[in-house]
Amino acid sequence: MINFLQNHIFYIGAFGLILIGLFIMISKRNLIKVIIGLSILETGVNLFIVSLGYLHKGTAPIFSKSGLDVQKMVDPVPQALVLTAIVIGLAVLALALSLTIRLYNHFGTLNLQKIKEQKW
Amino acid sequence: MNELIDLNPVVLIAVPLGLAFLVPLVELISKKIIKWIPVLGFLFNTVIALSLLPRVLKETIIVKIGGFSPPFCINLVVGPVGILFSVLISITGFLVAIYALKYIKEGAEQKYHILYMLLLTGATGVVLTGDIFNLFVFFEVLCISSYALVAYLGYKTGIESSIKYLIQGSIGSSFLLIGIGLLYGQFGTLNMADIASQIESVHSVSVFVPMILMITGLGIEAAIFPLNAWLPDAHSSAPSSISAILSGIAIEVGLYAVIRVLFTIFGVSNFLMFFLFLGVITLLIGEMCAFSQENIKRMLAYSSIGQIGLIVFAFSIASPFGVSGGLFQMINHTLSKALLFLASGFMIYKTGSMKISSFEGIGRKMPLTCLLFTIGTFSLIGLPPFVGFASKFMIIRAALAQGELLYTILIGIVLIGTIIEGAYFFRIIQRMYFAHSNDINQKEESPVAGLIPMFVFASLILFIGLYPDFVSKILNPAAAELMDKIDYIRSVLG
Repeated sequence: MINFLQNHIFYIGAFGLILIGLFIMISKRNLIKVIIGLSILETGVNLFIVSLGYLHKGTAPIFSKSGLDVQKMVDPVPQALVLTAIVIGLAVLALALSLTIRLYNHFGTLNLQKIKEQKW
Repeated sequence: MNELIDLNPVVLIAVPLGLAFLVPLVELISKKIIKWIPVLGFLFNTVIALSLLPRVLKETIIVKIGGFSPPFCINLVVGPVGILFSVLISITGFLVAIYALKYIKEGAEQKYHILYMLLLTGATGVVLTGDIFNLFVFFEVLCISSYALVAYLGYKTGIESSIKYLIQGSIGSSFLLIGIGLLYGQFGTLNMADIASQIESVHSVSVFVPMILMITGLGIEAAIFPLNAWLPDAHSSAPSSISAILSGIAIEVGLYAVIRVLFTIFGVSNFLMFFLFLGVITLLIGEMCAFSQENIKRMLAYSSIGQIGLIVFAFSIASPFGVSGGLFQMINHTLSKALLFLASGFMIYKTGSMKISSFEGIGRKMPLTCLLFTIGTFSLIGLPPFVGFASKFMIIRAALAQGELLYTILIGIVLIGTIIEGAYFFRIIQRMYFAHSNDINQKEESPVAGLIPMFVFASLILFIGLYPDFVSKILNPAAAELMDKIDYIRSVLG
C-alpha cells in the first residue's frame, strides 16, 4: 500500500487537485470561487501531464555537455504540452475575470443563483 | 495557375491568423478599411480551398510541419473530410464577413474583426490537423474566441451567457486535456495515426476512460444532449452574424472533432448504440423546446440542438450511407442555419424586438429578407427542391437499409421530430406573411451588403438541392476516409 502511494504520489495528488477543482466549480455559489475552482482544476491537469514524463532520479532533458545519457533524462514532450496549456489557462482566466467585472457592473451581485435573467 | 495548384495547405490556417494580427496595425492607418480585411482573407481562403479540392480528391495531402517525418512532427492531414469542411468554413466565413460590413456598427469593431478571424482560424485548424495536441490548441483558439464574441455587445444577457458558456467550455477543455494526457502516457505519441495504429481494443479500461473523457470534453462544444445547457443562452445573446458562425460552424467543428476521435483514433465504427439513442434524445429535446419559444433566436438555437441530434444519429448508423448522410446534413445545417440567423438579424434590427409576435406582417415590409428566411426554413425542414430534402432522404435510406426493427422505430421518432420542426417554422412563416400588421410603412428592405450573402446562401441551397451529385463526389470519399482507418494510417505513416 505504501509502495503504491510512493510510486504514484504525483498522480494521486494531481487527480486530487482535479477533483477538488471540480467540486468547487459545482458546489460554490460565488462566481469568484467558481473561477478559483477552474484555476485549481487546470493546475491539477497540468500537474498530471508533467508527471507523466517523470523518471525516478532523472535529469533535465538538455544536452549541456556531450556524452549525456539520453535514457536518464525526463521526457520533454509533456513539458512542452504543459507550457502551452498553462498559457491557455491564463488566457481563459483573464477573460473570465474581465467578464466577472462586467457582470458585477450589470447585476450588482456575484451570487450565481441570483444571476438568472434567461430562463426557458 | 500551376503555382496556385502547388500551394501548401498551411496557408489556409496561416493567412487568416496573420491577417487577424494585422488588423490593429491597419487601424492606425484608417478605421474604415479594417472591416474589409476579413472579407479579403476569407475570399483568399475560399479560392485556395476550392483549388486544392481536385488535388485532394486524387490523394490525401500530408503537410509535415518543420520537415520532420511523422510520427515525430505535427502534421496536417488534408483529406476529403478536411477539405470539405475547409471549403464550408471559408465560404461561410466570407459571406458572414460581407454581412458584417453593414451589421456591426457599434462597439469595439476592431476587436470583433480580430476575434472573428481567430475563430475561423481555429475552426480551420481543427479540421485540418492530424495531431491530437494540435487539435486541442486550435480547439481552444476556437472556443476562447467564441466566449469573447458572445459577450461582444456588452448587454446583460450577453455577459451572463458568456460566463456560463466559458465555465462549461473550460471544464470540457480540461477533460479533453486529461484524456490527451492519458493517451500520451499510454502510447507515447501524439500523432493521431500513430495512436490509431497502436490501439487494439477499445474495451480495455485504459483506452475506454480516455475515450469517454475526450468525447465528453469535445461534446460540450458539439452540444450533444446532457452537455448543451450553454447553447440556447449563448446563441441567442450573440450578435446575429456571430450566432450564424456559432451555429453553423463552431458546433459542427466540435462534432467533427468527436467523430474524428471516435472513428479514426479509437476505431469504433461498430458499436455506437449509445450514440444512436443520444442522438434521438437530443433531437426530440431540441425540437420540443424550440416549439415553446417566443424569442426567435432562442428558437433557432434550440433548433440547432435538434439538428445536431439528427447528425449524431446519422453518424452512429455507422455505414457509408449513414456517414455521408451525416456529412451532407452538416452542409445543409451550416447553409440553412446561417441563412436563418442572418435574415433574422435584420428582421430584429428593423422591428427592434426578438419576440416572434412582433414579426406580424413583416413579410410585406421586407419581402426579400422574408423570402430568403422562408427558403432557409424549407431547407432545414427538408422540403423537396432544397438541400435538406436530399440530406434527410440519405439519412432515412441509410437507417432503413440496416433492416432492423430498432432503426425503423428510431427513424419514426426522428420523423416526428421533423414534424414538430415543421410546426414551429410554419407558425413563423404564417405570422410573417399572413397576419395583419398595424403600421403600414413602405418597404424598408435590408441593406445590399446584408442581402448579397443571404442570396448566395439561398442559391447554394437551391443549387446543391437540385444537383446533389455535385457534392456526392466529395461525400463518398469523405465517408470512406472516416469509416476506414487503415487507409488513414497508411497515408500518414507510409
